[in-house]
Parts: sequence; C-alpha cells; structure tokens
Amino acid sequence: MAWLEGSALGHAMRESGVWTYGVVNLIHILGVASLFGAVLVIDLRLLGSWRKVPLHAITQPTVPIATIGFMIAASSGICLLATKATEYVGNPFLYIKFPAIGLGIVNVAILNLLPGWKERGIRDASPHERSQLRIAGGISLFCWLTAITAGRMIGYW
Amino acid sequence: MRSRFSLCLGMVILALSGVPAFAHHGWGGNLDEEFEITGTVEKPLSLAGPHATMKIRAQGQIWDLTLAPPARTDAAGLKEKTIPVGATVQVHGHRNRDPKRFEIKTERITWNGKTFDVYPDRK
Repeated sequence: MAWLEGSALGHAMRESGVWTYGVVNLIHILGVASLFGAVLVIDLRLLGSWRKVPLHAITQPTVPIATIGFMIAASSGICLLATKATEYVGNPFLYIKFPAIGLGIVNVAILNLLPGWKERGIRDASPHERSQLRIAGGISLFCWLTAITAGRMIGYW
Repeated sequence: MRSRFSLCLGMVILALSGVPAFAHHGWGGNLDEEFEITGTVEKPLSLAGPHATMKIRAQGQIWDLTLAPPARTDAAGLKEKTIPVGATVQVHGHRNRDPKRFEIKTERITWNGKTFDVYPDRK
C-alpha cells in the first residue's frame, strides 16, 4: 500500500488538480454500472429468467459490456486506491471487496470451461448443464453484489 | 417464470437496501454539538481524495481533520501550502461520534488571524 501511494500513479492522482479524484470516481462508477448492469442480465438468465430467449442472444451484447466495464472499473479503482492507499489499511470493507472480486473472476474462469456456456452459440444446454450454469449465475450475482456493497461502504468507515 | 424473475429481482433489491449507513460521508457519524479545539499542524493540508484532510496535534493527541471536498476547500482560499507545519490553528467543526476516534468534520480553520470557512453555509 505504501508502495502504491508512493508510486507515480499516486503522485499524479494527488497533484493534478482538485477535481481529479471526483472525475476518476465518476469513471469508476460508470465502469461498475456497465459491469453490473450487464452481469445482472446474464446472471438472471443463467438463474432461469427469460428462458425463451437463447442464452447466446443475451450474452452477445452483455459479455463485451461486462468485460469493458470491468476493465474501466479496475483501472480507475487502482487510481482511487493509489491516492491515499495507506489510509485504507485496516478498513474491513476492503478485505471483503477484494476477495469477492477475486472469487467473481474465478467464477468467470470456471463458467468459461462449462460446456453449456462454451457451446451456447451452437446448441441449447442440457438439463444438467443448465443446473451448472444456474450455480455459476448465483455465485456471480453474490460476488458482484458483495463487491459493490463492500466497495460503497469503504467510504463510510 | 414471471414469479421466479420477481423473486430474483426482490432478492437483489433486498440485498441492496439492507445496507447500513454510518459515518464519514455526511454529518451523521459526527456529534451534533459544535466542537472547537486549538492545536499545531502535524501534517499539512492535502487536497487529494474525496475530502481535503490534514492532521493536528492537540491535547496530546493527533487529530484527523476532514474538510470539505477538495474543490470547495480550495475555493475557500485554503491551498496545500497555505498553513505551514507547526503553525497554531483553531479548528471549528463536529467531532466523531466515536469517542475513541480523534476525527473532526471541519467547518472552518483559523490561522494567523485568517479564517478559512470551507462550509460557509454551516454555522
């Protein structure tokens, strides 16, 4: 944390004007909103909503939005953290948020290995595959809700 | 299917609304009564982050001052190098509700006969 705060990024965040933090915070929120908005649609579909709409039709627009949203949120988030990184040491919400993000990423990696997901463009998932996808969707929703809730609470500690 | 969707949506709303609200942002985490203390600057003003911050030493303690957001603090005439380390300042604001936390949501700082009113709409 001390290294991050002392890095060129930390200096840039602190020394480039009084609106810098606010603007980067805005970018972070836009990233999180894109990520969660898209993920919510995917997860609800995996959990069993809109079954008449093919999974592929839902994931085609939402997966790239979620991916780009995550990249925007992660890069702006590092900037926010670098501003005064040492002040967050001991903030309990940070220790909930980052493991939740980590678990969310592991869940995405596992989802990408599931045949019901990999072959969604070719065929419908079997009942067994559907239950696998449902579990992945549930874990995903839990992870991202936890990450967002803990993230919002960091500032209230 | 519709009922399952409603259930999911209900769960999401519940998860988001069951969130407690505490200190730091807003004034709810600080005592209502006005608080004043005089001390010396330990760490100079920083205009980085969600709020401007500085540290003072008073009554044998280090106090964290949380001022207005950077742009508003700057607009009150208070810059990062305005008040030097070691200078004696008078701080007016609201103390953290937690008596173990030496933090003051700061409304104004007086130094060298000048008052920097970072929240001019508050008394």
